[in-house]
Amino acid sequence: MSAYLTKRISYMVIILLAASLLIFCLYALTPGDFISSNIKLSPERKAELREIYGLNKPLLERYGIWMKNALHGDFGFSLAQQKPVLTLFNEYIWNSFLLAAVSTFFTWLIAVIIGVVSAYKQYSWFDTLVMVLIFAAMSLPSFFIGLFLIKICAVDLKWLPPGGMLTTGSNATGLAYVKEVIHHMTLPVVVMTLLGVGSLTRYFRSNMIDVIKQDYIRTARAKGLKENKVLFRHALRNALLPAITLVGFELPSLFGGSLIIEKIFNWPGIGQLYIQSFGLRDYPLLMGFTMLLAVLTVIGTLLSDILYHIADPRVRLH
Amino acid sequence: MKKGVILLTSLMLVGSLLMSACSNNNDAEPAASGNSAQTEQGAKEGNTTVPGGESGLTEPYAAADMSKLPAVAKQRTDTIIVGLTDPSGAFTPYFTQSGYDGNVNSLLFSSLVTVDDKGLPIPDLAEKWDVSDDQLTYTYHLRKDLKFSDGSPLTADDVAFTWTIQFDKAYDGDSMVPTLAVKGAQAYKEGKAKSIEGIKVIDPQTISVTLEKPNATALVMLGGQVLSKAYYGKDYKFGQLDYIKKLHSNPVGSGPYKLEKFIPGQEVRFVANENYYKGKPKTERFIYKTSEGDTWQYLETGEVDYASFSATTENIEKLKSLGFVNIIPYTPSTYGYLQVNLEHEALKDKKVRQALTYGLDRQSIYVDANQGAGSVANIPASPISWAYTEEGINPYKFDTEKAKQLLDEAGWKEGAGGIREKDGKQLVIHYLGSKSKQTDIFIAVAKENFQALGVKFEPEVFADFNSLVSKVESGDYDLVSFSTPMLTDPSDGLVQFMDGEIKGYDNPKFKELYEKGLATSDIEQRKQIYKEIFQLLNDELPIIFTSYKKTVYGYNGRIDNLSVSPFVGLANSLPDWTLKPAQ
Repeated sequence: MSAYLTKRISYMVIILLAASLLIFCLYALTPGDFISSNIKLSPERKAELREIYGLNKPLLERYGIWMKNALHGDFGFSLAQQKPVLTLFNEYIWNSFLLAAVSTFFTWLIAVIIGVVSAYKQYSWFDTLVMVLIFAAMSLPSFFIGLFLIKICAVDLKWLPPGGMLTTGSNATGLAYVKEVIHHMTLPVVVMTLLGVGSLTRYFRSNMIDVIKQDYIRTARAKGLKENKVLFRHALRNALLPAITLVGFELPSLFGGSLIIEKIFNWPGIGQLYIQSFGLRDYPLLMGFTMLLAVLTVIGTLLSDILYHIADPRVRLH
Repeated sequence: MKKGVILLTSLMLVGSLLMSACSNNNDAEPAASGNSAQTEQGAKEGNTTVPGGESGLTEPYAAADMSKLPAVAKQRTDTIIVGLTDPSGAFTPYFTQSGYDGNVNSLLFSSLVTVDDKGLPIPDLAEKWDVSDDQLTYTYHLRKDLKFSDGSPLTADDVAFTWTIQFDKAYDGDSMVPTLAVKGAQAYKEGKAKSIEGIKVIDPQTISVTLEKPNATALVMLGGQVLSKAYYGKDYKFGQLDYIKKLHSNPVGSGPYKLEKFIPGQEVRFVANENYYKGKPKTERFIYKTSEGDTWQYLETGEVDYASFSATTENIEKLKSLGFVNIIPYTPSTYGYLQVNLEHEALKDKKVRQALTYGLDRQSIYVDANQGAGSVANIPASPISWAYTEEGINPYKFDTEKAKQLLDEAGWKEGAGGIREKDGKQLVIHYLGSKSKQTDIFIAVAKENFQALGVKFEPEVFADFNSLVSKVESGDYDLVSFSTPMLTDPSDGLVQFMDGEIKGYDNPKFKELYEKGLATSDIEQRKQIYKEIFQLLNDELPIIFTSYKKTVYGYNGRIDNLSVSPFVGLANSLPDWTLKPAQ
């Protein structure tokens, strides 16, 4: 196991190094830079500022400087926000995480329940109805369903707030604060769950169908076990095994923020910050954020491999 | 195998993240200045043609039915909330990189001199000023007993410090002050002098500054917001300004409001500053709420008290139907234009540029298709500027025949496929625009217009403003749509012809007039000079003038004494805003 881990981790470092170079080049080579979109500046002042920011240096030298600082734990100052990149992450990322974690939880919960039931009652009216609804939900564009729900629930019926994370000007603390946040996150969570639940349900349903046909399920039933026990103890456990791969992939998306949902619901998350920084070519922030996602992706894959091994001893790690 | 998969995943990750940003056309409040991308922005909704094309609102409109005011907005007793697209939290004037932080700064920091609704200087922290006869020395007389929000006195030393650090070699903000030729500033920047020779503190209430060359914009430019030397200058050493970054989140100013709390991505909360020189503002609390994109839902639900919209008939009707909003019309101090690539052979010819202007139906594109939320521009100044004139200005009324005639005169004759040719080369216009409704309208109409002239039109649309700019910098274009940032002085709208931004325009007559316009601060004299300049540019068309925007502000009918200045936004009137009791 430890030999395996050492090998995997050294691969990870190499991959991350390669990825960082690649990402850096991609950002640096996208047309325009932080200075060029400020149309107030004269060409001489632009040149002066590029000198101050070091944007006129050769690409590899800039990468070297960034890498050197990053290895010292310094991810730089955001050019547009004038704050250390890590401070900004800390300010925004947890808001995104909250939204993603809650909606992921509901997505999985609903997907597992519906998946199991509809697999068990394959081709029943329930199964057909659920599949139709799920396909409908999957094919809705997020901005449409988001705006539609804002119009109905917030503007017309005034049940829920139209956006944001807090009531403007609110000084709520403690439980009142929690209540307020829950109130504000209801709509975005509903939309994210609606959009995510479809594919996952299909996944669990088909896994479950495969498992139910296995001999050991027939054996379990033949032993006279209760149907509930057969389904949830024997069938579901095995049907969930392939889903471990998905858990690893969820990791970066938990922290990555959702660009569209955050924008529609005015949620103060990292996705909004990222997309705006991209428009401005705020290199330190872009680099920091993309590298964070890369690290999470790599860790996520390692994690799912290890989890797989723990959950299913048949899987060997080399 | 595994490695490959992971690398591929990271690649896909990068690829998907590089997806371009959606452009946002409806700011809650337009950025005061700075690094926000300024492009042609179209009306957000609706596209039906209104005959006549005049905006549906010329006078302020008072709310008709205040009983419709949402409960949330009724409950507020001492707070006014305004939407602002995206303040970043760096609230130090001159160091702020986002224009939205500039909006915040304008409430936290007062200026020495501000401007009235016509753009003319009026006293603020400075009660009066003198300009020497040679137009080189400006002396500001500060009011007595001025204080910063922390209670410390504001004196001429603070002003001197504010000016000085902007000439530091490490200064990386986008202030225009460093472009002024202040005497001794260059020596200071190069580290050859300990202080700037031209800046003299005469007594705690009086400061003067001497320029090397007259510049009529200097009075307002130097009369900007004042930084406290005791607070912002404590750790200052020449060439090192990084320490200021640590102070961005705790501003100490002299404006009507103080910062109470900044919640990233959500709110900027202000409380009234009891040390404000005009007396404590009438409304205790003020909030800028971060709200990207459409602000309708927030105004409708009473979450914000004030929002701006494009002045389309549809928007105005909708605002009126809400019942509880007052509406005021507003013309921003900007102008839209098509930058022309003067390095391309065909466009070097004035006649071709004039032909394209005559041949383009600007009325349809900018006025009618926008439901009246715009008007046609013919000079580089907004209609609200004191220098604006229509005297001797050619309106270039849409006239295809005239345009054809001019092209004929310029030697472009119809060739194969109806496209005009000269010396075997076709007349092709490669157009660049930012992704927006306005650009879509432009392309649709211009394609037809130019086809009628025998000009081949090749549009290219960019979702990302930065990419557009670098394409323009590479010179691979013929026409590109732009809009200026907010212009205070008429010379602000002309500087692009001087500083090399518009490549290939070199007219000694213009340069002479430009210098002349800055050499005096007498407004009547300047008006005459700018009229001459506008007539010259209107004839030469180094750029094609397109449009002015028209906006309306809708605000909660409970607010009294509200007015918006095209040049300083809310800052001047905000201290007087009061909240009437809800009905």
